[in-house]
Amino acid sequence: MYYLALLAGEKNATEWGPDSPEFAVAMGRHQASWDGAGSALVGGGALYPSAEAATIRNEDGRALITDGPFAETAEVIGGFYVLEGSDLDEVLEHARRIPEASEGSVELWPMFEWMAVTDQKGCWLALLREPVGAAVSPGTPQWDEGMAEHEQFGRVAGSAVRGGGALYPPDSATTIRVRDGELLLTDGPFAETAEVANGLYVLAADDRESAIALAAKIPVSPKGCIELRQIVADAE
Amino acid sequence: MDGDTLSRVFREESGRALATVARMVGDLSLAEDAVQEAFAEAIRSWPDSGVPNNPGAWITTVARNRALDRLRRESLRGDKEHDAARLVPPPDEEEVWPVRDDQLRLMFTCCHPALSSESQVALTLRLVAGLRPAEIARLFLAPEPTVSQRLSRAKAKIRTAGIPFRVPPDHLLPERTPQVLACIYLVFTEGYSATSGDTAIRDELCEEALRLGRLLCELMPDEGEAWALMALMLFHDSRRAQRTDAAGDLVPLECQDRRRWDRAKIEEGVVCLRAARRRGGGPYSAQATIAAAHATAPNWEATDWGTVVAGYDELAAYGDSPAVRLNHAVAVSFRDSPDAGLAEVDALAGEPRLARTHTLHATRADLLRRAGRPAEASVEYRAAIGLAANEPTRRFLTRRLTEVDGETAARQIRPRG
Repeated sequence: MYYLALLAGEKNATEWGPDSPEFAVAMGRHQASWDGAGSALVGGGALYPSAEAATIRNEDGRALITDGPFAETAEVIGGFYVLEGSDLDEVLEHARRIPEASEGSVELWPMFEWMAVTDQKGCWLALLREPVGAAVSPGTPQWDEGMAEHEQFGRVAGSAVRGGGALYPPDSATTIRVRDGELLLTDGPFAETAEVANGLYVLAADDRESAIALAAKIPVSPKGCIELRQIVADAE
Repeated sequence: MDGDTLSRVFREESGRALATVARMVGDLSLAEDAVQEAFAEAIRSWPDSGVPNNPGAWITTVARNRALDRLRRESLRGDKEHDAARLVPPPDEEEVWPVRDDQLRLMFTCCHPALSSESQVALTLRLVAGLRPAEIARLFLAPEPTVSQRLSRAKAKIRTAGIPFRVPPDHLLPERTPQVLACIYLVFTEGYSATSGDTAIRDELCEEALRLGRLLCELMPDEGEAWALMALMLFHDSRRAQRTDAAGDLVPLECQDRRRWDRAKIEEGVVCLRAARRRGGGPYSAQATIAAAHATAPNWEATDWGTVVAGYDELAAYGDSPAVRLNHAVAVSFRDSPDAGLAEVDALAGEPRLARTHTLHATRADLLRRAGRPAEASVEYRAAIGLAANEPTRRFLTRRLTEVDGETAARQIRPRG
C-alpha cells in the first residue's frame, strides 16, 4: 500500500529558501530520518516557501488564482513523502521519525493509487484540496466520474505529468505527532484545516506562470482548490 | 432449542468465530457477514439437529466456509483479483479451534491508536464481545444510527488505512497496551456502573471484560498493568451483586454485607495484584491497591486507610485529577478526621471539572454530616440532588438528606423540650 505523508510545520518555519542555512539543517535531519527507511520511501520532496505558492480555486467553474496557500491554516505544508508498506504500522515506524512529526504534524493518507515520480527536477506539487465533507469514496459513480475527468487532464497535460495519486477519504487519514518521544495519533486529518487533501500531481513546468496555467486545468470539485508549490530539486 | 440458548451462544461464540474468520480472510466486514450467515444457518438447522457439542467450532467452520465461498464467487467474476490472493487452502478442522490468539489480534486491531477512543470501544464491543449496534447504543446512551455509522467508518478505516490484524511486535506493545487496557476497563465500568439498560447486558459486560482481561494476562504475562487491571476488576466484581439493593438503589461500600462478597474473586484479585506489583507500578496498580484495601478489610472501620491514602497519592503521581484529589480527601477524612478531609475538599471548590457534577457537593455533605454539622450538610445534599444525573443516586442522597434534616430538627426541639 502507498501512503502520502504531508509534512506540516509552523508557518514561519517554511519561510526559509532552499539556499538558507536553516534549510540545510532541516535537510540534514530529514536525511538522517531516511536511514532505516529501506524501501519504504518511494517518493517525495521539499517545497519552496509558501509565499511563492499559488492557490487555484474553483469558483462556479472559474479558476480563481491567489498567491500563497489558503490563508487561515495555522500550519503550512513544507514537504511530502510517499511511503510504501504492507500496513499502517509499518509506515508509522518510518513516519514517526520524520522531523515534522516532532515539531508540527504529519498527515498520513492512504492512497487509492500512486503513479511514481520519474524525475521531479523543475517540478511543481499540485495538491488537490476539497471542503471537509465533500469527499467521495472509490467505487462510487461520482468517483468514476472524477476519474474520467482526470484521465482527460492526463491527455491534455501529456508528459508534463511526472507523477500523482488519489487519496482515500479523510476518514481513513491519521495525523501523527511525536512529543517527548511519545507517538500521538489522531483519527483523521489535522483538525483545523477547512479543506482536506484528496489527491496530488507532480507537474513539470518551466516557470510559475506555466505551472499555474497547467494546474488550472486540473479538475477539482466545486469549492475545491489546488495548492501549487514548487518542489526543491534534488542536489545535483 | 430456545431463543435464550441461541442468544447465549451468540454472545459467547460470535467474537471468537469472527476473530478466526477475519484472520483467515483478512476482511472484517466479510467475516462479520459470514458469522451472521452462520448464525442464520444455526437458527434453521439446530431445532432439528440439536445444538452441536461445540457450537463455537460449528459456527466458526460454517462462517469460514461462507466467507471462502464468497471470495471464490467474487474472484470468478474477475473484478476482485486481489481477493483471490486471500484464498488460502482451508486449514484442518483442528486449526479452527482454539482461537484465543485470534481474539487478541482482533482486540489490538479494534484498539489501534489511529482510531478514536469511541470507535475503539464500539468496535471491541461489536467485534470482540458480539454486542449488536442497538445494544451498544443503549449502553452509551447514543442514537443507534450514530453507533452504526461510527462502526462502519471505523471498519472502513481499518480496511483502507491498512490497520493490521495482528498483535503488535514487542517494541510497540508498551505504547499499544494502554489502549487495550483502557478499552477493557471501559467495557467493565459500563457493565458495573451503568444504571440504565437491562441487567443481563450489565452482567454480560462485566463477564466479558473479565474474560478479555484474563486473555490479556495470558498473552502478556510480563505486563504488570494487565495483572493490575485484572485485580482491579476482580475486586470490584466481587461485590457487584451487593452494590444495589432489592429496589435497585445504590448501597454504599460501608453498608454492604461483606459476608456476601465473592471471596474467590477477592483471593484471585490479591494474587493478580501481587503479580502486578512484582512487575512494577502503574495507574491500574495504584487503583487495585486501593480496591484491595477495601476488599480485604473485615469491616468499614477496620479499613487500612493509610494504604488507601498512599494509593491515591500514587495514583495522583501518574496523572493528577480533581476526582483523585476528592477521593484522597475522603480517605484522609477516615484516616485522620472529617475536618482534615473537609480542608482538602474546600481546596477543590473552584475546580471547574467538578462544578457540573454532584460529587463535590455529595462528598462535602457526607463529611459535614460525619463532622456533626447536619444543617450545613443539608444545604450540600440539596445542591447534590439538584445535580445528580441518575435516579438511584438521587434517591440515595434524598435518604441522607432526610436523615440530616431529622437530626437538625431533633437538635432544635431538644433545647426547648
